[in-house]
Amino acid sequence: MATVDVKNLCKRYDDFVALDGVSIAARSGELVTLLGPSGCGKSTTLRCLAGFLEPDGGEMAVDGQSILATPSNRRGFGVVFQNYALFPHMTVAENIGYGLRLRKCSGSEITTRVHDVMSLVKLTGLEHRMPREISGGQQQRVALARALVLKPKLLLLDEPLANLDARLRDEVRWLIRDLQQQSGITAFYVTHDQSEAMAISDMVAVMKKGRVAQFATPREIYQKPVERYVADFTGEANFLSCRSLEACGEGRMRISVGGAELDVDCVPSLEPGEAAELLLRPESLQLATLGEDVTFRGRIVKSAFLGASQHCEIALADGGVLKLTTAPNAPVRIGDEVGIVVDRSHAWLMPEGTK
Amino acid sequence: MIKARHLRLLLGAPAVVLIFVFMILPITNMVEMSFRVPGTVEPFGDDYTLMHYTRVFGDSFYWGILARSLLTAGSVALLCLIVSYPIAWHLSKASGLKAALLYALIASPLMTGVLVRNFGWMIVTALNGPLNETLIGLGIISQPLRLLFTQGLVIVALVHVFVPFMVLPINNALRNIPDNLVEASVSMGASRYRVFRDIILPLSFPGIQPGLILVYVLAVAAYVTPALLGGQMVTYMPTMIIAELTGTFRWPLGSALAIMLSLSTILVVGLFTMLTWRLMERARA
Repeated sequence: MATVDVKNLCKRYDDFVALDGVSIAARSGELVTLLGPSGCGKSTTLRCLAGFLEPDGGEMAVDGQSILATPSNRRGFGVVFQNYALFPHMTVAENIGYGLRLRKCSGSEITTRVHDVMSLVKLTGLEHRMPREISGGQQQRVALARALVLKPKLLLLDEPLANLDARLRDEVRWLIRDLQQQSGITAFYVTHDQSEAMAISDMVAVMKKGRVAQFATPREIYQKPVERYVADFTGEANFLSCRSLEACGEGRMRISVGGAELDVDCVPSLEPGEAAELLLRPESLQLATLGEDVTFRGRIVKSAFLGASQHCEIALADGGVLKLTTAPNAPVRIGDEVGIVVDRSHAWLMPEGTK
Repeated sequence: MIKARHLRLLLGAPAVVLIFVFMILPITNMVEMSFRVPGTVEPFGDDYTLMHYTRVFGDSFYWGILARSLLTAGSVALLCLIVSYPIAWHLSKASGLKAALLYALIASPLMTGVLVRNFGWMIVTALNGPLNETLIGLGIISQPLRLLFTQGLVIVALVHVFVPFMVLPINNALRNIPDNLVEASVSMGASRYRVFRDIILPLSFPGIQPGLILVYVLAVAAYVTPALLGGQMVTYMPTMIIAELTGTFRWPLGSALAIMLSLSTILVVGLFTMLTWRLMERARA
């Protein structure tokens, strides 16, 4: 149970700026995900927190106390690595008990605590195996148990699922989330997988070139991204360039797009008259059936039948293209003229940004 | 019909022939010779006897020299390990030009001829040599030290030349230890010392074990360095065997001594391997 405050963290290697003023905060018991492509600084941030790297500037505090001067081995954080980093010369039980041995716990206490945490992560019976003798999913659970057994103030997870196959990934992901919630440990989780981030986080920090592009809840990140980069990274997205006409109250803006005028929610800092982009997630678009309020008209240029759904791309008259997903049972044919219904409450207007 | 598999086996033939002609045959020959009676005109006579073995194994003089050889080789191997480990550590962290330079420096003792190297030691450590003169000049000693023709110098010189055989396997083992094992143990609270003791040292054992064996075997069999730097005062098995073979021409006795040395070395190495078996098994990830 701990609050974490990272303020204006900076780190540079020669002329490469790895962290350019990163600020993130975690309330007690929250799971905060650092999401971004490789090289965005998410792992660097985590390694600074763990104490493996020394930041060039900025502040990191846990429960209000700066940890900058505390060496890694005194921070009392649990770290889980992408490649598990199990000690190959120790058995599963020895791996998990290693931190307790360092703390000079008695033999019986070590046995009990190792046994308890092993049943928590469903590893009972593997005590005397060597790491190389168990599967990848089991290895990652050993790594998790090894961190949790020390009751860390903060749990740091660096792409813990990246080396697992898809089925295991799901299983271990929920295990991590369940354990984190049960124990109420504040956690930082690094990943480049947006669906993973969405599913298990309380808060997500989308990172871009050493900065935090947006720090918010998964819902906000997905539905109300501050810029195109965030929208792009967090899922399928359609962007239509448009002109904002006038503010119409309650953070809404009237815009002109693809021959229609719409009132939509927008990024608060947006000014009327500014060039802007409209974000339409595929799930807020629908092909019109008779009698519906059609927003755009266009022609189907691509379609793909996926079984449970079908994807199609629709070219609008003004050159814009919309991707959307429809129910699988009404066939869509390339070349068909269609109307598109927009769920206006889930359209989102952002300033026109660099891609 | 000749199958491809047989042709492949043929590729190994030159090596097999070489080993047979230059190793199996001479050793068989030597074993046989060690059971021959001493000759009067030739190196050995026609009849067979056990007298050389009863003499060699019954005489504390030979046991003493064997013990000195084995202990010296053991000290050389251990000292070599202590000297080499930090070097191997630095080498394992180096890359690019720095690594190439370090490799060259580490191999440098092997790039000097064995005679040149040992005469160098003789010149440096002589009574009025540069080492003594420097120490006297600095006021550290007042009388020159007798360094040459001592067991200590033999050990130092052997450690010097065998360092590469210890550094390279340890360097290899250290390079195979992922950095995040260290990070993981640090994050669990390990001090630098505990990281070394619990993680680095056991995981580098697959380099330490072959290094120790290699240096031990080389040191037991070393001839030139003990002969030149040990002088007449300090006798080792190899120097004594050569003396029997070329000085007194008692080939059967020399052969029996050589076999005594081989057997005891095999025994020591075998025992060491058995004792360290568990350590190796654990570290072999």
